[in-house]
Amino acid sequence: MIRTVTPQIKNGGLPMMACLSVIIHLVVYFFLLEFHFPTRFKETPVYYVDILNLPVANPQAGATSAGGAPATPSPPAPTPQREMTLPTKSPEKIPARQTAAKPPEQLKPAESAREFEERIARLEREAGARHAASAIEALKNKGFAKGPVGMPGATGTEAGSDYASYIKSRLEDEFKSTIAYQSKAPEVYVKLVISPSGRIIRQQIVKSSRDKVFEDSVFRAIVKAERNFRPPPSGTQFEITVKFSPQGIGKQ
Amino acid sequence: MKIKSLFLLIILLAHVASAQQNYIEVTAPGNRALQLAIAPPSALAGGDTKIAGELAELFRFDLTLAGPFAVQEARAIEGKSGIKPGDFDFAPWKASGADLLLKTGYTISGTKLTLECRLYDVVRGSEVTAQRYTGELKELRRMAHTFSDEIMRAVTGEKGPFNGKVAFVSTATGNKEIYLMDYDGFNVQKLTGNRSINLNPDFSPSGREIIYTSYKAGNPDLYRRELFTGTEARISSSRGINIGGAWAPDGNRIALASSKDGHSQIYLIARDGKQPARLTKTAAIDISPAWSPDGATLAFVSDRLGKPQVFIMAADGKNVRRLTTNGAYNVSPRWSPKGDRIAYCRQQGGGFQIYVISPDGSGDTRLTGEGSNEHPRWSPDGRFIIFSSKRGRKEALYVMRADGTGQTRVSRGKGEDSHPVWTR
Repeated sequence: MIRTVTPQIKNGGLPMMACLSVIIHLVVYFFLLEFHFPTRFKETPVYYVDILNLPVANPQAGATSAGGAPATPSPPAPTPQREMTLPTKSPEKIPARQTAAKPPEQLKPAESAREFEERIARLEREAGARHAASAIEALKNKGFAKGPVGMPGATGTEAGSDYASYIKSRLEDEFKSTIAYQSKAPEVYVKLVISPSGRIIRQQIVKSSRDKVFEDSVFRAIVKAERNFRPPPSGTQFEITVKFSPQGIGKQ
Repeated sequence: MKIKSLFLLIILLAHVASAQQNYIEVTAPGNRALQLAIAPPSALAGGDTKIAGELAELFRFDLTLAGPFAVQEARAIEGKSGIKPGDFDFAPWKASGADLLLKTGYTISGTKLTLECRLYDVVRGSEVTAQRYTGELKELRRMAHTFSDEIMRAVTGEKGPFNGKVAFVSTATGNKEIYLMDYDGFNVQKLTGNRSINLNPDFSPSGREIIYTSYKAGNPDLYRRELFTGTEARISSSRGINIGGAWAPDGNRIALASSKDGHSQIYLIARDGKQPARLTKTAAIDISPAWSPDGATLAFVSDRLGKPQVFIMAADGKNVRRLTTNGAYNVSPRWSPKGDRIAYCRQQGGGFQIYVISPDGSGDTRLTGEGSNEHPRWSPDGRFIIFSSKRGRKEALYVMRADGTGQTRVSRGKGEDSHPVWTR
């Protein structure tokens, strides 16, 4: 008689194997991620809008055509009011100008020169108004392309920069010179926590440069910059990590 | 349970990694020194303008040489001019572009002096450090140098060496005698007066004793002297030379070059001169031993390959290797207190120049260029090198930063000064 022997699976064997499988998948995933993006630190994309440097919650930064949205012509610049020149009563020219607006009207033989000028001016005004209205309507219908705030294709509607860019700008205003002693290429990472009122409530070195002179100069720059901070537009506490270093010193 | 912990750990690590990855970068286009304003010292009571001038000049000298600072010549500012927080306004100092402000005040009562020194961060409007010293009026310079050291500690995290003493050889009396002075050349004190030749002083690690070679008994013997009592003992008097004594960092051993067995070799002796042990055994001339700061290794000069070169060996004489490979004549090595560099002299164009090199032989760098420069010795913090230099008619002592910048003459006597050594 032949007996089939089935291997006994101990209690908990299957969940253990499932967990092991998850860990292995995660390891492979992170390995591939590192392989494709070998940089040690990935820099947050920053779009610095210095012309309008007030921080806003939904900054209107970036080109609307990005992100795969169909490109639309930008609205025409308002046509400056030009002084009307006296048109000649040439029958060939007048129909050509009126084709875009309305069907041509028949010239009345009894129309005076003054009436003729008024009529031409009125027709031009109507054509201009129609053109502007259609451009505004096209913009309204299209809106902005979908995309993250502060990025090309942003959905924001306010003129200004995102708050991280604003903080960067204020810090750059004050961190003008490297003051170092123990190192020629110091780098320090500082975590800043900004309160809803725009004050720094905590600053902490995340990665030290081991150059006290340099780090003190960074904190002095932060103190100077903080005087010009505006509150975060979100109305909540804002955290950011800033890397301070001399210009022109790249990663080894 | 273990799996749960593992998952939590993975999530935590991922969170930490992402926190470090997301940052903005702020770079500084320029480069500058810390702007340090020295306010004119003010008399809190018993005014003496001479003291005020001496204090300001001393701080200017120390802190200009220090390295991190650009010292501003500050004038007295009208209005509130106290030295304590709240007794003066930061606004004028801010307007002058100062990062730091040094305020000093003093009180003289008979021969007693009270010196109060305060360093402020002008940008933050806060006090960085403050000290009050009380003592005899003649201690003014020592008090001020001590606060210079404190400023260096507060700003860089490591104390300065300005309060240290320098022993050196001078011909001020016509003979080569050993003297002691402040590092900046003030308060010169004569240590020996035997009217013979006295050479190569070296401080004990405690700074209370020195050893030196003297011909006062006819032979170049090694002596140990207690600085405060003047008690002296001859600790090596072998036939021939007993020179280049170097105190080990533990204070219990002394390395020296002696020719008692024929030609000059490196020996170790106890601090009382007993238990001699020969470290090198060659037919060449071996001189100038210099200890590494951990006391495990010695640098020395040997001509075993033809010309004098710097070699390194273990403290038991084993594992000898050549250090300098450039230049035909390299002498006078001295290990930095941090152990990362060795200063030495190279013969070039009829004179000597000072170089530094890493103990592994890399980074051989020239520090001096003007005149002929010899006998480099490190400051106890390794930030400075004192050396003798002939840049005119007389040999004098100079101090420079460890990178060769800021070379400043500190000799103020009328003789020729050489063989300096800074207290550890």
